[in-house]
Amino acid sequence: MWSLGSLSFAAPWALIAVALLPMLWWLLRVVPPAPRRQTFPAIRLLFGLQTAQRTAARTPLWLVVLRLLLAILVIGAVAHPLLDAVPSGAGGPLLLVIDDGWAAAKQWPARRAVLDGLLGRAERAGQPVILLPTAPPPDGTAVAASALLPAGEAKAVAQAIEPQPWPTDRAAATRALDHLPILAHPQIVWVTDGLDDPPAKSLASRLQRLGPLSILRPSAFATAKLLLPPRADAADLTPRVRRAVSGSAETVAVRAADAAGRTLARDVLAMPAGVAEAELRLPMPAELRNRVARLEIEGEGTAGAVALLDGRWKRRPVGLVDDGGGSASPLLDDLYYSDRALAPMAEIRRGRVTDLLQRELSLIVVPDQGGLPDADRQALWSWIDKGGVVVRLAGPKLAHNPDDLLPVRLRGGGRTFGGAMSWTQPMALAPLPDHGPFAGLAVPPDLRVQAQVLAEPTIDLNDRTWARLEDGTPLVTAQHHGKGWLVLVHTTAWPGWSNLGLSGLFPEMLHRLLDLSQGIDGGIADRPLPPADLLNGLGRLVPPSGVAEAIPAGAQSVTPGPRHPPGYYGDDSGRRAVNLAPAIPTLAPLVPPLGAAESELGARPAERDLQPPLLAAALFLLLADMGAVLLLRGLAARRAGIAVLTIAALIGLPARGQAADQQVLQAILQTRLAYVITGDGQVDETSRAGLAGLSRVVERRTTAALGEPMGVDVEHDPLMVFPLLYWPVTGRQGALAPEARAKVNDFMRHGGMILFDTEDRGEGGPEKLRELVEGLDIPPLAVVTEDHVLTHSFYLLRDLPGRYEGAPVYVQDGGDPANDNVSPVVIGGNDWAAAWAVDRRGNPLFAAVPGGEQQREMAYRFGVNLVMYALTGSYKADQVHLPAILERLKR
Amino acid sequence: MAERGAVLRNQAEALAAPLPPLLVEAERVAATVVQGTHGRRRTGPGENFWQFRRYQPGDAATAIDWRQSAKSDPLYVRETEWAAAQSVWLWVDPSPSMRWRSRSDLPEKYGRGALLALALATLLTRGGERVGLLDQAMAPAPGRAALLRLALALEAAKPEAALPELGLPRHSHVVLFSDFLSPLESLDGMLRHLAGGGVHGHLLQLLDPAEETLPYQGRLRFAGLEGEGELLVPGVESLRGAYAERLASHRAGLAAIARALGWSFATHRTDAPARTTLISLHALLSGG
Repeated sequence: MWSLGSLSFAAPWALIAVALLPMLWWLLRVVPPAPRRQTFPAIRLLFGLQTAQRTAARTPLWLVVLRLLLAILVIGAVAHPLLDAVPSGAGGPLLLVIDDGWAAAKQWPARRAVLDGLLGRAERAGQPVILLPTAPPPDGTAVAASALLPAGEAKAVAQAIEPQPWPTDRAAATRALDHLPILAHPQIVWVTDGLDDPPAKSLASRLQRLGPLSILRPSAFATAKLLLPPRADAADLTPRVRRAVSGSAETVAVRAADAAGRTLARDVLAMPAGVAEAELRLPMPAELRNRVARLEIEGEGTAGAVALLDGRWKRRPVGLVDDGGGSASPLLDDLYYSDRALAPMAEIRRGRVTDLLQRELSLIVVPDQGGLPDADRQALWSWIDKGGVVVRLAGPKLAHNPDDLLPVRLRGGGRTFGGAMSWTQPMALAPLPDHGPFAGLAVPPDLRVQAQVLAEPTIDLNDRTWARLEDGTPLVTAQHHGKGWLVLVHTTAWPGWSNLGLSGLFPEMLHRLLDLSQGIDGGIADRPLPPADLLNGLGRLVPPSGVAEAIPAGAQSVTPGPRHPPGYYGDDSGRRAVNLAPAIPTLAPLVPPLGAAESELGARPAERDLQPPLLAAALFLLLADMGAVLLLRGLAARRAGIAVLTIAALIGLPARGQAADQQVLQAILQTRLAYVITGDGQVDETSRAGLAGLSRVVERRTTAALGEPMGVDVEHDPLMVFPLLYWPVTGRQGALAPEARAKVNDFMRHGGMILFDTEDRGEGGPEKLRELVEGLDIPPLAVVTEDHVLTHSFYLLRDLPGRYEGAPVYVQDGGDPANDNVSPVVIGGNDWAAAWAVDRRGNPLFAAVPGGEQQREMAYRFGVNLVMYALTGSYKADQVHLPAILERLKR
Repeated sequence: MAERGAVLRNQAEALAAPLPPLLVEAERVAATVVQGTHGRRRTGPGENFWQFRRYQPGDAATAIDWRQSAKSDPLYVRETEWAAAQSVWLWVDPSPSMRWRSRSDLPEKYGRGALLALALATLLTRGGERVGLLDQAMAPAPGRAALLRLALALEAAKPEAALPELGLPRHSHVVLFSDFLSPLESLDGMLRHLAGGGVHGHLLQLLDPAEETLPYQGRLRFAGLEGEGELLVPGVESLRGAYAERLASHRAGLAAIARALGWSFATHRTDAPARTTLISLHALLSGG
C-alpha cells in the first residue's frame, strides 16, 4: 500500500510502467496508423514521382496523446488505486467489536459495508482479525470472541453475523475480552449501535486498556427507536415511541397491520425537540382495532420497533344469557339493546348459562330474570371467581323474585317515579363518580329513569355504587368477587323503566365493563407456552429456531433473549405476544469515552475503489481510438456518422409533448378506467392498484377488455376519452380551478361518469365533498335503491360495499333523458379502490371490514356493475321489468 | 453459349422495353445541337441539287439539264450534292478504369463516354450516316433501329481493356472514347494498326476532374483499377505540380500520335457539360 494524499495504491509496483511511457510516445510517433486507401485510375502517372516532403510519416499528435492516456489509464487501473482508503494499523491484529443487538438492525447494510471495508483492508494488509459480537448468540452460548483469524476467514465469519432480536450483553463481552491472547499493537474498532447501558463504560475502558480505540456509531437520527405496545385496556390503540436522542424535532410514522401484513391504519407522530417519548393515538373502528396484530415504526426494521398484539388487545367474546323466555317483540327485550350496544366491539354469543360457560367468555349479560336456577347461579359464581364479569339487568321479574346473585341486597318490589299515583318526576342521572369504571363518561341530559330496583342500604353500599340517580339512589352497583366482578344495573335496558338503553351512554358503559374483564387470554397462562412465530433481528416474524424455549406456566414477565426471543408464544387456543420494547429499561445515546477516536457510520466516505472506473474509461478510450483509426483510414466516415447518430438517438431525451400525445393516444386506443391524481402519493397508488384490480376482474368476468388504468390531472389532461373517472375525495385538494370545473362539467354533461369516493364510510360529513364539487353541475341526488340499474347492470346486488360497508351511495335522482337516464355521478364513501386494490401478484392490499373476503367479492361485483353501467348505460334497466315480462310470456 | 445468349437477350429486352434511358438522354443532348451543319458540301451522287456547271465532253447526255440549258447558249449539267452515306465506328473504352468517379455526384467516365457516343450516333443517323460499334463488331447501319441496338450494346458492354483489332473498310471514320491512360507506346501501336487501313480517327480523352487536379491531401495509398499495383504517397499535395506536368506531357504525346496519324484529339472532363464536346465532335465528323 502506497498513498498519495487521499489516494493510495494497492499494487504500487505497477506504477513502474509509467517509466516506459516516453518510449511508448516515441514508438507511437514513428509507427503511423495505416494510410487511407484510394483507388485511382491515373496511378501510372504517379509512379516514380518523388514527394518534396521527405519527413517520415508521423502519427497525428492527438492520436498519440489519446493512446498515451489509454496506457496511463490501464497502468493506473492495474495499480489499483483507492480513494480515502483508511490506512491499516501498524501491523498488529484487528480487534472488531460489533454490536449486533436489536438496535443494530437499523442501518445494518451500512454496518455490513463498514465491516466489509475494515476486513478488506485487513486482508490487504495481512492483519489477523478477532471478531467480538456483543449480543448473545442465538444458539444459547455465551458471548465470546473469535479466535485470531486470517482476514479472509474473518470475512466469512462476519458475513454470518446478523442482528439479533434482543439487546447486547456488553458485560459478557467485557468478560470475554479477558480470554483474549496477548495482542501486540492491536487496532481496535468498536462498531456500536449508539445506545448506552451501564456496562458500556466498562467495556470501553477495557478496550482502551488493550490499545487505541476507535468507535463507529450511527448518526443521531439513525439511532434505533423503540415502540412500546399500547395499554391493553385503553379505548384506542396508543403505542408509545421512545427515542434515545431527543435533540431535534422528528416525525415518526407508525403503521398498524393485521396478521397478513395489510395496513389497517397509519399515522405520523411529530416529536418536538427535547421530547424523548411520545404517545400516538390510532383511533379506529372497533372491528378494525380487533384485527390489528402488529404495530411498527416505519423505516426502522428492528425488533424493538415492532409491537405485537395478542388476545389481550383483541375482541372479547360476550355471552348473552338467552333462555328463550324473552319478549316476543325485540324492541321490548333487554337482550336486543345489549346486543346492539356490544356488537361493534365484541363477539356475541347467545345461549343458556351452561352452554355459554362451555367456552371462554369475557363478559356475561343476564337480562331481567328473577330467581336464577341454582345450578346456573353456582356456575356463574365460580366463573366470577376465576375472573369473569357478570352484568345483570334489573326489571319487573327481578324486582318480584330476587335471588342471591346480586352485588347488593334488594328491597322487595320496585320504585316508580312519575306514575299516576306519584308526585315525583322521572329522574336523571347524577354525574358519574370518579372512582368507578365509568369515570369521565358524560351523562346525556335527556336520560330519564322511570323505575328501578332499590338496594338495601348497607355500610359498603357507597363503595359498591358506580352510578346513581340525582337523588342519590344507586343505579349501577358492583361487587368484586374473587378475580371477577358482579354488576347490577338497577333498571331495564328496554324502554319500560328507563331510556338508558336508547341513550349513547349504555354502549359506553358496557364497553367500560368489557374493559374491566380480562379477555380470554389472561396474559398469565396456566400452562407452558411453546414458541409459535418469533421476530428476527429485522423485525419480521419467522418460525422458531435455535434454542427458543417455551414460556413457563405462570410467568409474569419474560426477559427477551436467546431463550425467549420476542414473538408469539402459545398455540391455537391462545397466543401470547412477547415484546422486546418493555424489557428495555432505558434508551440513551452512548457517551464515547475520552481518548477514543469517534466517527459516524455514514459520515466518512467509505473507501472507494477507483479501479473499475479507470478500466471503464480505458475501454471507452480504446473504442475512441478504434473509431479514430477507422476515420484515418477513411473507411468509416459515413458509418461512424451513423453510429454517432444512433448513440445520440439512444441517449436523446424523449420530448415531453410527444409523451403527452402518447398518453392521449393510449387512452383512445383502448378503453380504460381512469382515476384523478390527488397529489397524495398513497391515495393515488391505492386508486391505481384498485382500478388495476377491478380492470382485471372485469376482463375476466365480462367481455369488456380494459387496459391498464391511467391517472389523470383534471386540470391538464383530456377527460373525454375515459368512460369512468374514479375520484377519491381526500379533503386536501381544495376547490377546482374554473377551467378544470368547466372541463369536468363538460365531461359529465356528455356522457362521462365520475365515482366520487370520500373513503370515510360517510362519517366525514359532506363538507370536504362539498368543497371539492363547488361549482360542478351535480344533479339532485338520491340514495341508490334496489331497483336502480346500478344494482343489476351485471350482478344482482343488494348493497354496494367497498372496503367498508353501510355508507349510502348517491346517484342522480330520476334521470336525464338526454343522457339515457344515466347518472353522471355516483357518490359514496365505502373506499372502493382499497377493496379492489391488489398487488402485482393479485393479492389484496387492504382488509375489507367487517365482511372479509365475502365483502371484497361484493365490492368487485359493485365495480363490475359500475363499469357496465358506465359502458352500457341504462341498457339493463329492462331487467326491472323482467318479472312482468316473464309473467306476460307465461300467459 | 445458347444459355448466355438467352440471358443477353433477356437483358436486352428488359432494356428495350422502354426506350433505353441512355438513348433518351443522348437524344436530349443531340436535340440541343443546331441542325444543318451536316451534309457533304461537295458534288457527288445524291438527290439534292448542288450546282450547275458547263457541259464538258464526256458527260453523259442524260446529265444535261435541258431547262437550264434552254435559257442560254451553253449547255449545263445539273450536279447533285454528294449524299453517299458514311460509316462511323464508335468505341467506348469499357475497361475498369473507365468505371470510376471521384465523387458520387459525377458520372462515371464510361457513362459519360457512352452518352457522348450515343448522342453523336443520334446526330449522325439524322444526317443519314451509318453508325456501328467497334468492339461489338456491329456493322454500321442506318436508322433508329441501329440507334436502339447501339444503346443496348453500350449498356451491356463488358469490361475489356483492349481495343479490338479489326480490319476496317477504307475511308470509314472511327471515334474512340477513352481515358487513354495506358502507356503511350502501347497506345501508339494500337492506333497505328487501326489507322493502317486509311481510316480517319478521332480521339476523345475522358477524364475525371480528380484525375486532372489530384485534389487529395496527406498520406494515401493509391491503388490502380487494372492491376497496376499500389503506391504509398506520404504527402499527396506536394505531388500536384509534378502530376500536372506528367498529365500534360501524356496528353501532348497523345496529341502527337493523333497528329502523326492525321487524326483529331480532344479532351473532355466529366464535370463539364456534354453538349460543347458533342458539337465539336460532330463538326469534326461533318467537316471531315
